[in-house]
Amino acid sequence: MSGYLLRRFLGAIVVMWAVATLVFFMLRAVPGDPIGAMLFDVGDAQAIADLKAKLGLDQPVYVQYVKWFWLMLQGDLGNSIYGSRIEVSRIVLEALPRTLSLAFLSFVIAVAIAVPAGLISAIRKHSALDHAVTIFAFLGLAMPDFWLGIMLIIVFAANLHWLPAIGYTPLSEGFWPWFSHLILPSIAVGTPFAAIIARMIRSSMLEVLKTDYMNVARAKGLKKLRIILVHAFPNALIPVVTVMGIAVALLMAGAVVVENVFAIKGLGRVLIEGILNRDYPVVQGAILAVSAIFVFANLAVDMLYTVIDPRIRYES
Amino acid sequence: MSRRKHPVDPHLRREMKADLERATDFDPRDPLFGLNRHDLAGPRLERRTVLRLLAAAGALTATHLLPGPVRTASAASGGTLKAGWAGVGEFRTLDPAQINQVLLFQISSNVFSGLTHINPQLVAEGDLAIDWTANDDGTEYIFNLREGVTFHNGDPFTADDVVFTYNRSKNPDTSIHSRVVANVTDVEKLSDHKVKIKLKAPQASLLVKTLERSSGRAMTIVSRGGIEKLGTAQYGLTPVGTGPFRVTDHSLGQSITLEKFDKYHDPERPKIDKVVIQPIIDAEPLAAAIEAGDIDIIGGNPIAPELTDRFEANTDLKVSIIPAPGFQSVWMNPYRDPFKVSDFNKPVEELMKEKGFKVRLAIAKAIDRDLYIKQAQFGRGTPAYGTINPAMGYFFDEGLAETSNQRFDLEEARKLLAEAGHPNGEGIPPLKILHIPSARREVQVIKNILKRNLNIDVQLDPKDFPVLIDAFDKMDWDLTRLGSGGDFDPDDGVVDWMQTASKFNGRKRDKEKHPFGYFSDSEVDALVDQQAVTANPETRRDLVRKLNKITSDKVASAFVFHPADTLVHRKSVNFPAESRIPGLVDLDRVTLS
Repeated sequence: MSGYLLRRFLGAIVVMWAVATLVFFMLRAVPGDPIGAMLFDVGDAQAIADLKAKLGLDQPVYVQYVKWFWLMLQGDLGNSIYGSRIEVSRIVLEALPRTLSLAFLSFVIAVAIAVPAGLISAIRKHSALDHAVTIFAFLGLAMPDFWLGIMLIIVFAANLHWLPAIGYTPLSEGFWPWFSHLILPSIAVGTPFAAIIARMIRSSMLEVLKTDYMNVARAKGLKKLRIILVHAFPNALIPVVTVMGIAVALLMAGAVVVENVFAIKGLGRVLIEGILNRDYPVVQGAILAVSAIFVFANLAVDMLYTVIDPRIRYES
Repeated sequence: MSRRKHPVDPHLRREMKADLERATDFDPRDPLFGLNRHDLAGPRLERRTVLRLLAAAGALTATHLLPGPVRTASAASGGTLKAGWAGVGEFRTLDPAQINQVLLFQISSNVFSGLTHINPQLVAEGDLAIDWTANDDGTEYIFNLREGVTFHNGDPFTADDVVFTYNRSKNPDTSIHSRVVANVTDVEKLSDHKVKIKLKAPQASLLVKTLERSSGRAMTIVSRGGIEKLGTAQYGLTPVGTGPFRVTDHSLGQSITLEKFDKYHDPERPKIDKVVIQPIIDAEPLAAAIEAGDIDIIGGNPIAPELTDRFEANTDLKVSIIPAPGFQSVWMNPYRDPFKVSDFNKPVEELMKEKGFKVRLAIAKAIDRDLYIKQAQFGRGTPAYGTINPAMGYFFDEGLAETSNQRFDLEEARKLLAEAGHPNGEGIPPLKILHIPSARREVQVIKNILKRNLNIDVQLDPKDFPVLIDAFDKMDWDLTRLGSGGDFDPDDGVVDWMQTASKFNGRKRDKEKHPFGYFSDSEVDALVDQQAVTANPETRRDLVRKLNKITSDKVASAFVFHPADTLVHRKSVNFPAESRIPGLVDLDRVTLS
């Protein structure tokens, strides 16, 4: 097991390196001159050339890559090329807790909705409840998250004044300020995932409920609730956990539109603004963080399989 | 433009008009512009002097000369003001040496001081300077500095800080504003609270622009101790100044917290205890936030025009609209069909023989500016026929809408297009228009107008700003929607955009293929140079209007509109008229009910 873990860990590092390298070269192949744009108003070609030289952007791309890689190995992700040239690590680390908070709460909301909805839908197949869950799932998938976010703001913030419309407050300033700022964006982000997971639970549960050991359990006279929760649901979780793992990874980097709507500066917004401004070091640093989240989330999911299903073992 | 009329004291209005007329009455050869050293001495310049200096500097803005009611905020001091800054994702730096966006000046003007600060009546007042004197030829100024002023970190403010700021600003390695102080040859410390500023040549804009705390930037006083202790990066995030508010927290991309600086040199200001500024990119959340009371005031980039009616209809909100500087144009590449022009130096009559010029003029004449402003700007803005805008009041030619070749005339536009061999738009291939993604609505309106009026197909070509600028600089485009959000001086339009050597005129172009950029006319070049050194405001105004008309008649671009400056806040915010300086959001006199 430890050998397997080591192999997966090393594999994850290689994947992160490959992604970071690919992004490094692709970014520089994309048209757009960040320094020219930054000093557009200054209108001084020499100033642009000087700044490029100062930042090393006048050197061949492979030289820039080697320098960046060497510094990265030492834990230095470089500095933003805009404004006061803040350290990239600081930009990423300031955004990370916001993204983690939003992803966590969105995931909790998604699971809280999806598990009962999926179970009820499977147990009461073709009933009115099942149809209601199916309609909810399609609605959840069909509604763009930014639209849902704006609707939530209009109803709960602008009209009812129950919750703040925008912004983020760190957990260190209290649970309610943190929660009240995150609940609306989390619903906007979590709803589509709830729909996906609910559908997955339903289909997986229907498969399990058809198996022989379910008949045995019923024949033994076990209570229906016990059969569902203790015998069926854990066995139906394997494909669901896979989807949840992907969902966690997507939530970490894919909430950029909702982050914009609710004025939360998370990793997604760091990444998008970096790309729009061609702020190479920021994009590289953010991509590194996002790729790490992706590969380690997948690794965690694989490990979770062994907990859910003891028959699964990873050999060294 | 504004739908709200403010009552103005008629006597004050007459007085201002008289001052405006007297501002032009001096010998253009006089290096002091008809003023004497006593006029130029501080601590407070008289309005007459300021108008003269502004006129001579080309910064006189008649639209703003007539003041609104001077209202002193009557609410009690204290409280927290929550502000939303529109259209921005984060404040990457507030270091005056590095900022070139209005939305950042708005914040830094609350944190820093300059030697002078101008008020809405255009009276330059001493900020960190108590008073000043000038020599006879206007090339040396001696400033007595305010004593007892401290930076937010407790360091005392002295003449050394003025010298340090100048040295930092003139160095292109540490500042992007070195060109702003190019006319300053030296800043010399005479004593702890006295400095001498020497100029190469008399510069009327020195007191009212270069040394002004918000528009100057180059001479916005920074803290040497703060920079050395914090380092440049951190100083940009939590800068140390001598302004009414100090930065106590900067959560990157989330918020900036300003708190009242108890040791500010004016014990009466600031009125409020705390300001929390949040960057908000999207328009709808911004609107919902102020409607819900999550924020009290909107600063930053101009608010989306579609929101203005909604805000005006909201009884909880106050909306103030005044002219803003700037212009927006549709540029046509003179090296590409169907708008090819061989040489802009030809007289208009000669140019009219060229098919490409006829197409350019047809497009410019077919753009119904009123319809555009109604559909794209929701009725806020002024039709444009040149770069000189209403915020430059004194220089703005209201008659140009009727006298310019670009005057809207659909019949004439269609006739010109037919004469160019394209009746009803036939033979004109689909034209790509380069624009930033956020201008999609505006460009869509242009597209619709040109399709409907001339049957010309336009395809939208959205590009991120760095890509757009790169392409624009290389002359790699058919049409581009671009313009300036600029300053109040005519130079912002004519020097920056209309000269052959303008900084935006095809900076990266291949000079073999594109010898003159997007526009070049030797008469315009000469007029631009001449107006820059013409002290007589009337003469300068005539020169500016003349060259502005030439650029309009020769269709340097199809000029479309001039923007509006809209300030929105909740009624609980008392934003006094004395703080309503176009483009700025000075919060030191603001109170909360």
